[in-house]
Amino acid sequence: MAKWGMVIDLEKCTGCQACSTACQMENNRLPGENYQDVLYYTEGKQPAPTLSWFPRPCMHCEEPSCMHVCPTKATFKTEDGVVLIDWNKCIGCKFCMIACPYGVRFYTDEKPLIEPNIKSVFKGEGDLSWNPPYKGPQQDASHGVGIQPNGVVSKCTFCYHKISKAPKGTPDLSNDDPALREFVPACVRTCAPTARYFGDLDNPNSKVNRLISAKKGVRLLDHTGNKPQVYYLTGGGAAGGAIPSSRANDKKA
Amino acid sequence: MEILKTKVTRRRFLQASGVAGAAGAGYSALSVVPAASKEAHAQAAAGNTVVNKSICGQCPARCGIDVYTTNGKVHAIYGNNGHPIANGKGCPKMHLGTYILYDPDRFKGPMKRTNPKKGRDEDPKFVPISWDEAFKTVGDRLNALRDKGESHRFGLFFGRGWGASDVGVNIVPFGKLYGSPNVPIGHSSICSDGSVLAKQCTDGNASYSSYDYRNANYLLMFGANFLEAYRPYNNNLQVWGYIRGEKTPKTRVTYVDVHMNQTGAAADRALLLKPGTDGALALAIAHVILTEGLWDRPFVGNFKDGENKFKTGEKLDPSSFNEKWVSGLIEWWNVELKDRTPKWAEGVTTIPADLIIKTAREFGSTRPAIALFERGAHTHSNGVLNGMAIHSLNALVGSLFAEGGLGYQMGPAYGDAPANPDDFMDAYAKEGPWKKFGRIDMQGHDDGYKMAKNMIQEAGARQLDGKAGYKLDTAMFYMTNPCFSTPNAKDWEEALKTMYVIDTSPFPGETAWMADLVLPDNTYLERWQDAPTYPFQGFPLAQIRTPAIKPLYDTRTFGDVLIGIGKQIKGPTGEYYAKLGNVENILRHIAKGFEKTPGDNGVNSFETWAKEGVWFKKPYVFRQVRGEFFKWDGKGYNITMKPDEVKKDLLKTDSGKFEFKSSYMEHKKDWILAKTGRNAEKYNFPHWEEPKYTGGGDLHFISPKTAMHAEGRSGNLPNAISMFQPTVGGKKQALVEVHPSVAKAKGIADGDSVKIKSSQGEILAIARVTELTRPDVIVLPFEHGHWAHGRWAKGRGSHVDTIVVQQSDRISGMANYYSAKASIEKA
Repeated sequence: MAKWGMVIDLEKCTGCQACSTACQMENNRLPGENYQDVLYYTEGKQPAPTLSWFPRPCMHCEEPSCMHVCPTKATFKTEDGVVLIDWNKCIGCKFCMIACPYGVRFYTDEKPLIEPNIKSVFKGEGDLSWNPPYKGPQQDASHGVGIQPNGVVSKCTFCYHKISKAPKGTPDLSNDDPALREFVPACVRTCAPTARYFGDLDNPNSKVNRLISAKKGVRLLDHTGNKPQVYYLTGGGAAGGAIPSSRANDKKA
Repeated sequence: MEILKTKVTRRRFLQASGVAGAAGAGYSALSVVPAASKEAHAQAAAGNTVVNKSICGQCPARCGIDVYTTNGKVHAIYGNNGHPIANGKGCPKMHLGTYILYDPDRFKGPMKRTNPKKGRDEDPKFVPISWDEAFKTVGDRLNALRDKGESHRFGLFFGRGWGASDVGVNIVPFGKLYGSPNVPIGHSSICSDGSVLAKQCTDGNASYSSYDYRNANYLLMFGANFLEAYRPYNNNLQVWGYIRGEKTPKTRVTYVDVHMNQTGAAADRALLLKPGTDGALALAIAHVILTEGLWDRPFVGNFKDGENKFKTGEKLDPSSFNEKWVSGLIEWWNVELKDRTPKWAEGVTTIPADLIIKTAREFGSTRPAIALFERGAHTHSNGVLNGMAIHSLNALVGSLFAEGGLGYQMGPAYGDAPANPDDFMDAYAKEGPWKKFGRIDMQGHDDGYKMAKNMIQEAGARQLDGKAGYKLDTAMFYMTNPCFSTPNAKDWEEALKTMYVIDTSPFPGETAWMADLVLPDNTYLERWQDAPTYPFQGFPLAQIRTPAIKPLYDTRTFGDVLIGIGKQIKGPTGEYYAKLGNVENILRHIAKGFEKTPGDNGVNSFETWAKEGVWFKKPYVFRQVRGEFFKWDGKGYNITMKPDEVKKDLLKTDSGKFEFKSSYMEHKKDWILAKTGRNAEKYNFPHWEEPKYTGGGDLHFISPKTAMHAEGRSGNLPNAISMFQPTVGGKKQALVEVHPSVAKAKGIADGDSVKIKSSQGEILAIARVTELTRPDVIVLPFEHGHWAHGRWAKGRGSHVDTIVVQQSDRISGMANYYSAKASIEKA
């Protein structure tokens, strides 16, 4: 069984947000509630200010704190290493949102960022929070895929409706291979500068592992012990980068 | 406890959403026919997922897209893997297509106005009509004008269609068959004509360039926001990942702009200069390249004795230099460059001289190198001069037509259209009274803009003051909204009250609000259409849109609407349009050209074109190698080109060379001197001229495009609004970037409401106090401030063109958006 993970090369990332718009399209996200965002930071002063950005999906941690705090075991880790929410079990208590160090979980019923509320324009039927005409065909509540029901938390699924159909034993899922493109997470598939890679962290020959090794991949807020399965490359051979690394402590290594 | 509270909240939400929904349904000022067409419902029963080839509609790049439709609903759009621009990838805008298709504010069918009064506060009171009535109404109107000998009083204005030949039916023949100089008038003068004219004046190509970025080792970018707003955006992003993350050696990039943005941040060096001074920087770089002997001798030539004689401030004898593919170098040096030192440029641009020297040395000593520029550099009174200076750097380092350099785009191997307009010219078309009239925008007129391609931004004012000698009776608009998007947009707004207005947008907009007739287009996912590529890598390429679904409503593709109107015109014009049939028929005809010239991807027919979504044939057949020009012979660049062939195909100037001394301008010498007051010695050389700033304030007011500008529709897409201005957090509307020193002086805090004033008017905005912008520049991206653009757009944010004064570059006619100045105060 694969252990899916992602590598994001910050040297190639242009901060364009296509990952975010592809995510909102593929996962029917509400304005401002993409499963993945790009964060922007300004430092320094004119005439030489620094503008930088940081793409932030769910880290699909090996030790997900969100899962550990869930009172109903709605948040769970799949056999292939993905952190998902079973919407049938979620009671919307939001403990997971507090426990997540990365701020990548979303609750319905929040005040809309943009008025008028698009949920009122495309009103949901039954328990579903809304019903946009452009929604995707997939709806899988037990894996937290599709239109978010009312009263539950949602999160990035690594596009589970896609990756779960990938041929077994595939080391990497890339848009460059036409046979695999339908199994690639939306943000990875669309990434124009190819700053995102997706593959099996348990396969030493996968491109993601090669990149992590060659370019000194690091993980965000690694000191929390969550052990993210998303790695960042921070600039060629510059060891360390901006993000502390503790890959050596990988549980399975 | 938490759990119980949540459950309550959930029930409350359900109740509340019902109420909110009822209120939401009440808004439909412009919606007339609510239900989707029967066809759309019938399709819904179909079942499985279908992937259609189409072309994105969010920018001029024309990326091939795969459109995913399941059960009759479009739900996903990804890049077409087989398309050379998209390569299966997407930019942030590509994924907005479904929101555009299903925009709940879309027009549902043709409508006519019943309220004779026009104005922002006048509800048009549209009522639905049939397409038959719509065509008859327009046909009767146009025939009546022609019968009176007043056909010149019909104008057709278009924007991103893209271009006259890209709506599936060529717009241009309508003008010459019906008889109007105002069919069509494009939007290029509010787009990017400054660069077109700069190229035309120097290398003779009235065009944007094609670029071989992937093989360049140095990119010097002036006011072309490569990673946010420069086309082809998607491919630029792909290029960036390659040249910065994979290519060896890594390509170095210097970026020039007036505030820090993503391109500046990602580049090796950002030079943040005073607006409008890009030309001064380029001239100083040229000065260093020459004095330090870094120019490309095989392309430019050399001193006869081989010794570099360029010394600051010293004139030279033109006969001392043997020019190869350039013309006027020593004269340029003598009249301008010799004094354009980095120190001088520091005084003009505020960029420290040492950084100018470093940039010049890097650019001049790294081959291949490309200097590129766009609106930031040329939407100024001195825009063409700035552009010429920057483009001249390409000549100095020999990048024209070189590998890793830049060239010009080849056209596709199209077959003939179903009919030739020349066979359908009646006597009126050939010599009717319309021939005596110039254009309403006074393009080409001695008293107007003789060298400009279009002047859409002034057509409104001319309609009001009658300077063109007449006024329009009827005007039709396709993908342009000048009463919102031109400087001093109010002129156009008033002008629309004085004519019969036909809008063709699928969506509500300011032009539609002022329209007498609305003939809504299909959105791009519902129609047939072709588009030869925008300048890309030079090799010919043409993509096709196939409809992913039948139109949701009773709308029609603009190309078919134009044919429908054409068929109403009496005489041979009507016969011509009857012969065209419809857009799909035209595409079937032009695709016959691919039978003779199959594409690299095997496309050799209409059917294969529709299946692959694109026809292309690599390579770009021209290449300059170390000062010699070659053509592709099928295996390599093996055919040597003679100078007259270079002149015919590539350097299309009088001299057949790259002209620092422009013969194109020399032909209009008297007019240029009279209209610009420029120095007779320098007027046709790239030279420094202080920009004429407008608006009278103490700060430069810059209104750039952002990455999320989806061809004018982002203002009504909540998903796009929420990501519109990411660098400073403009998530509900665009924020105005204000430097902390300005904020302090004016008592403005971050998030304050501010008033921005020019001599023309004032607008309100919300301040974002940030170090990203210069202390003398405030930045407010254009997009919002709509008053009739849909429920999400209406009343959101600030309308920048309320305060941007109408001023245009005399040479290019380019609207001087970025010459604007304004003052700011706490509201």
